[in-house]
Amino acid sequence: MDFSERIGERFKLMNRDEIRAWQSERLAITVKQAAKSPWYKAKFAEMGLNPEDIKSCDDIKKLPLTTKEDLRLSYPDKMLAVDKSEIVRLHTSSGTTGKPTAIFHTAQDIQNWAELMARSINLSGATDKDVLQNMSGYGMFTGGLGIHFGGERLGMMMIPAGPGNTPRHLMLIRDFGVTAIHATPSYAMHVADEMISNGEDPKALGLKYAFLGAEPYTEAMRLRLQELYGFKVYNSYGLSEMNGPGVAMECTYQNGMHIWEDSYIVEVINPETLEDVPEGEIGELVLTPIRRMGMPIIRYRTRDLTRIIPGKCECGLEHRRLARFVGRSDDMLIVRGVNIFPSRIEQVLMAEEWLGGNYVLHLTREDGKMDVMTIRVELAKDAMSGSVDVLKNRKAELGRKIKDAAGFTAIIELVEPGSLPVSMGKAKRVIDERDIF
Amino acid sequence: MYNEVQVFAENKSGKLAKVAGVLGNAGINIINFQIADVGQFGAFKILTADPDKTAQVLRDAGMVVALNPVTVVEIADKPGALVALGNALTDAGVNVLDAYGCLLEKGERAIFVVHGDKADLAEKAAKSAGFTTLSEL
Repeated sequence: MDFSERIGERFKLMNRDEIRAWQSERLAITVKQAAKSPWYKAKFAEMGLNPEDIKSCDDIKKLPLTTKEDLRLSYPDKMLAVDKSEIVRLHTSSGTTGKPTAIFHTAQDIQNWAELMARSINLSGATDKDVLQNMSGYGMFTGGLGIHFGGERLGMMMIPAGPGNTPRHLMLIRDFGVTAIHATPSYAMHVADEMISNGEDPKALGLKYAFLGAEPYTEAMRLRLQELYGFKVYNSYGLSEMNGPGVAMECTYQNGMHIWEDSYIVEVINPETLEDVPEGEIGELVLTPIRRMGMPIIRYRTRDLTRIIPGKCECGLEHRRLARFVGRSDDMLIVRGVNIFPSRIEQVLMAEEWLGGNYVLHLTREDGKMDVMTIRVELAKDAMSGSVDVLKNRKAELGRKIKDAAGFTAIIELVEPGSLPVSMGKAKRVIDERDIF
Repeated sequence: MYNEVQVFAENKSGKLAKVAGVLGNAGINIINFQIADVGQFGAFKILTADPDKTAQVLRDAGMVVALNPVTVVEIADKPGALVALGNALTDAGVNVLDAYGCLLEKGERAIFVVHGDKADLAEKAAKSAGFTTLSEL
């Protein structure tokens, strides 16, 4: 057996019974460890909870939920459960929705994370023979060092290229036989657009694997990227509070992301009632890391909305699969009283070949009037054939499709390719200028 | 048949200057230029002697460009010259989507550009009525 296939095999190949027994054992240890931190010590005392009473997974509902706000309140180190001398690394979250939060790792935590990440990369079929170019920012963002350590653990040659500078990325890919990339989907799309407008074919790069994440994107966008580059796109999921990348990853069947249940206990709850939703239904993902000792977090509310895909995956792994995320419980938009996730709009836009990959949703409301959503979307280079009337008709047709998908009429503005701002990191797709709070 | 160059244009200032600049720098002379407005955006419709080159330089400048097949009919620059052409198009059942005229030599020659719903039909109708259609300008 190939060296790279053996990484984390003991955990990777666990069946449901083994996962359950292991989770119970680890949960008990994790709760005792958490009780060493000032935050959970106070929290458990306040609830009258004795950590010794947590003996198995069945006891998890006795434990408190932890929110992003709790992490902010515990800043900088109230959730730290070991002596600072045992800590080897600090990461902070990207601060997508506010102030950053600090996460500490021991040497063993970092090793476990690297093993999870290596296992995740390997799930795509990539091995130590592959060369992975990491286009994430290195620094506090976990997509840099997290992916990097995982790739090295797998034995790949890692190229820590970092974000931006497209010509340099292309040079490295060509000169060093890169077979895999890690990037945000919007950046991968930007590079393809740029190559095509220079008369180059992204397929000629010879890339085989793309690990894309850090921002939501639709299945339509994945299919488009796969077609443009000729590589396979593997969805990955991670968040800095749960280490970073490597929490869940797709296998070669590309039908949901296997979440590593030897390392995380998964709950899917109704964000209003906080009760479990039936398996297979959409709810908020709640995770408890059970192998991290430096800074345990109990029942973390991720705000990410998803569902468990029922049944076994054809690949044979028994770690359950998360379906494509439908949004965050805090990024759902309410427009004219209608609930809509930006991803629903993106789906419609991505299905139109005459449109480019870049768009912005602009929300405004004049005093006493209804909300207005303006969708500004870039045209593809060859959007127009023959007369401008063709474009006029396509725009009208698009308007009808958006209305069907969203339930309200949006203003559509077609703009020239390259005229919307390009983001190197997480794309800012929604600009909400309504004064509604 | 002839190709009219159409350029996508957002309805905002500076667009005309940009297109004119690109064509000027490429040494392309404009025979006729007009703007079609369909609301939030519109299109410039440009006639030049070399439509392919015109389209290429505008594309290279990052614009969305298309070639639209039109019939260019030579007519005399005198009152009533258009009547016979109008009749010919009507008799042939051509539905005119867009049309415009421009002068080549004052008092002598003008051209009338027709974008019909069926491109070949307008061309044939003009020819059979004795008009000359141009494939070079």
